[in-house]
Amino acid sequence: MADTTLGSAAARPALFLRNATGLVKAWSTFDAFVYSFWSVNLITLGLYGMSFVYTVPDGQALAAILIFGVLTTFLVVTYAMLVSVMPRTGGDYAWQSRVLGGALGFVLSITGWWFTLFLWAPIYANILVVQFFSPLAYTLGASGFATWWATQTGIFVSCLIVLAFVSVVVTMGMETYARIQKICFWIGLVGLGVVIVLLLVNDQSSFQTAFNREASSLFGTTGNAYQATIDTATKGGFGGSSFGTFAFGPILLLLPWLAFYLLWPNWGATLYGEVRGAKDIRKPFWSMFWGLWVTVALVAVVVLLMVKTFGWNFYQAANSLYWGSLFGGPAPVIPTWPYPVMFAGWLVDSHLFQAALIIVMGLWFFGWAGTLFLSSTRVIFAAAFDRVLPAWAANISAKRRVPYGSLVLMIVPSIVISAIYAYRPSFTSVFLDATAVLALTFFATCVAAIILPWRRKDLYDASPIAQYKLGGLPVISVVGAISGIFLLFMLYEWFFNSTNLYGTSFQATTNSVIYFAATYVVAIAIYVAARVVRNRQGIDLRRIHHEIPVE
Amino acid sequence: MPKVFFATDLHGSEVCWKKFLNAAGFYGADVLICGGDMTGKAIVPIVSENGHYTVTLGGEQQAVPAEQVTEVESNIRRRGYYPLQMSVERLHELDQDPAKRAACFQEVMLEGVDRWMKMAAEKLRGTGVRIFVSPGNDDEMEVDDVIRRAELVELGEGRVVEFDGFSMISTGWSNPTPWKTHREESEDELVKRIDAMASQVADPSHAIFNLHCPPFKSGLDEAPAIDADLKLLHGGRALRPVGSTAVREAIERRQPLLSLHGHIHESKGAVKIGKTLSINPGSAYEEGMLMGAIIQLDPKKGIKSYQLVNG
Repeated sequence: MADTTLGSAAARPALFLRNATGLVKAWSTFDAFVYSFWSVNLITLGLYGMSFVYTVPDGQALAAILIFGVLTTFLVVTYAMLVSVMPRTGGDYAWQSRVLGGALGFVLSITGWWFTLFLWAPIYANILVVQFFSPLAYTLGASGFATWWATQTGIFVSCLIVLAFVSVVVTMGMETYARIQKICFWIGLVGLGVVIVLLLVNDQSSFQTAFNREASSLFGTTGNAYQATIDTATKGGFGGSSFGTFAFGPILLLLPWLAFYLLWPNWGATLYGEVRGAKDIRKPFWSMFWGLWVTVALVAVVVLLMVKTFGWNFYQAANSLYWGSLFGGPAPVIPTWPYPVMFAGWLVDSHLFQAALIIVMGLWFFGWAGTLFLSSTRVIFAAAFDRVLPAWAANISAKRRVPYGSLVLMIVPSIVISAIYAYRPSFTSVFLDATAVLALTFFATCVAAIILPWRRKDLYDASPIAQYKLGGLPVISVVGAISGIFLLFMLYEWFFNSTNLYGTSFQATTNSVIYFAATYVVAIAIYVAARVVRNRQGIDLRRIHHEIPVE
Repeated sequence: MPKVFFATDLHGSEVCWKKFLNAAGFYGADVLICGGDMTGKAIVPIVSENGHYTVTLGGEQQAVPAEQVTEVESNIRRRGYYPLQMSVERLHELDQDPAKRAACFQEVMLEGVDRWMKMAAEKLRGTGVRIFVSPGNDDEMEVDDVIRRAELVELGEGRVVEFDGFSMISTGWSNPTPWKTHREESEDELVKRIDAMASQVADPSHAIFNLHCPPFKSGLDEAPAIDADLKLLHGGRALRPVGSTAVREAIERRQPLLSLHGHIHESKGAVKIGKTLSINPGSAYEEGMLMGAIIQLDPKKGIKSYQLVNG
């Protein structure tokens, strides 16, 4: 049987390794980067999130993006270190339950990774409408079909399409989907390259001409639609926005908006229990780091090009007009979400080219959206294995390996929530909270990271990160504290902003408070019920994470 | 009503073995079952030169004073590696001669297993706790002899054992793996091996199949996909079922009360295959965490309860 020696040729051998099961060569950092890059999706989530920046007119978007990148890097280090200490399937749930305790871990992570993910299905559905179905239909001249997507039934149908797509991806498995993702990645990058080139080689006057031409051709407007957009927005209360304005306070106020897409480089951390080699901190760190920073760099490039070619004030006015119109403001000049990709396509006077560009850029959606419930199913598995959820929640069909138990737990409530989203507009604020609740889950994980070296000294001391200290303190505690403060600031703004800037302030959004209070109550009820039921069965849930004495 | 504690794939982690022995008292278990793959995968040389020692841990070479060598050895054992003090000359000799390296591995592994057997005797003598071990595909055949000689630990491999009215069959053999380890054979051969034992079990409703390899497509056998060069594919996120069809067939056909598995560390879980509860508690031996399963058996009900724990 073969065996090997590890150590550089010049140095002496450091380790003698025998041939044994599971000794594999490390996974490619690039492959893991692709997953992380998709998570902070520049187009699908990024452009959608950026369309709310108009709410902070004095906020310097570029500076905010860079600050967000720096602060999120601490979160990336925190998660990479946790993966290195405990590469567990379930990620946040596993770390929180093992460090903070089973009850707290269950309640905090299940609300984030299970209950809140219900809300993301309609959010994704809305993105699918405004970035794919609607602009594509308009471009192909089917304006009736395009407006239908914006109706309540249209949105609900889009929700069902998203849920069906997600279910298919979970059923086909990650290996097949990973191949699809790679194809989407490369074609999507080509599409992005085309958008960048179009924005680079055209100036603002040629964009104004193109905008006025297509506004007339596709939407039947007359005159200078570009200027009319700014004028109508101003009538609706838009005070103008200058890209050159720099004020620190407003920059910080932009951070919670940017979180909508830039907070997720660690999205795949819930899967690391299934990744051999994850204990080597470099792999998870670099994959998440580059996923974050390549996106930050691309966002910076795209924003600068939009400033140059669209004009920042116009772009912000268009966003203000679109979102304002949904809440009683003036009707927008072009009745569709200001999709920068569609605008870039208009720089070429060909509807066929414009449609092709929208389809190609749609791959940014289809390459990522399929993973919507992937992490959730892992968290449900982990909770089921801990006997907090019933065993059937982790069931997998023998024939097709479909995790039907967890899929049912995700899909059925998502359909109900999607119907509420589509047919009860008064519940909109609940959906705006989707980012905040996940951030609260991340915050709990940061707290777990901070106290890990003392609470689970055994695990910490045995881990590769035990050697990293800063001023005598464990680095994981330091980076966890910085990340925690960052998240706490955003949580405060989401929940208590005095002007209800994000549409989520408790004092202004009763529905939101009720919904989220209910999710925590339900999570607590599930845990308490599980404790009682399992106790009757002779199972003590408290002992799941109790360490057996060594001596 | 016997309470069983099952853990597997300790891979040389002495901390996990000590916890395994203590699990009897900690969880009140009457029977301890250790699945396969007891032995470690690596030797970490502690090289003696010029009055001090050098060792490379986590990619970093460190100089270790003589008085700290014991602590370093303990840290290495905790991770499931074998610390071995040696001279520079011996280091180069092992580096250059695969046969001597293989012999050295066998020596430290058997010595390690022997030490574990003695620990078990010291810890559990007079307690009435029964302890079964069946080596896995990563364990060399000579390990069986060391266990046979043990005072208290009973070798499970290839036979039917009885406790409290329950019958257990055990094997650490697996279907072929890309690593070509010590106890691998074709699915057909594995069917014969399992059948030879299973046919001796009279009552499946009181039978335990302790089979190292998990059943195919059970969810307990999902391992990261690798290519022919043993490189992980798709960032390690793509999973493939790698369990045994022979094990699955045996479970489906015989329908034992319980089946216990390991082999795939990442694929922790508990699933029902027909009437059989199949468990893979997973393994986190490198962290010194003992992942295990507590199963409360009942002569009438079969399985009264079960729980996966992270000790």
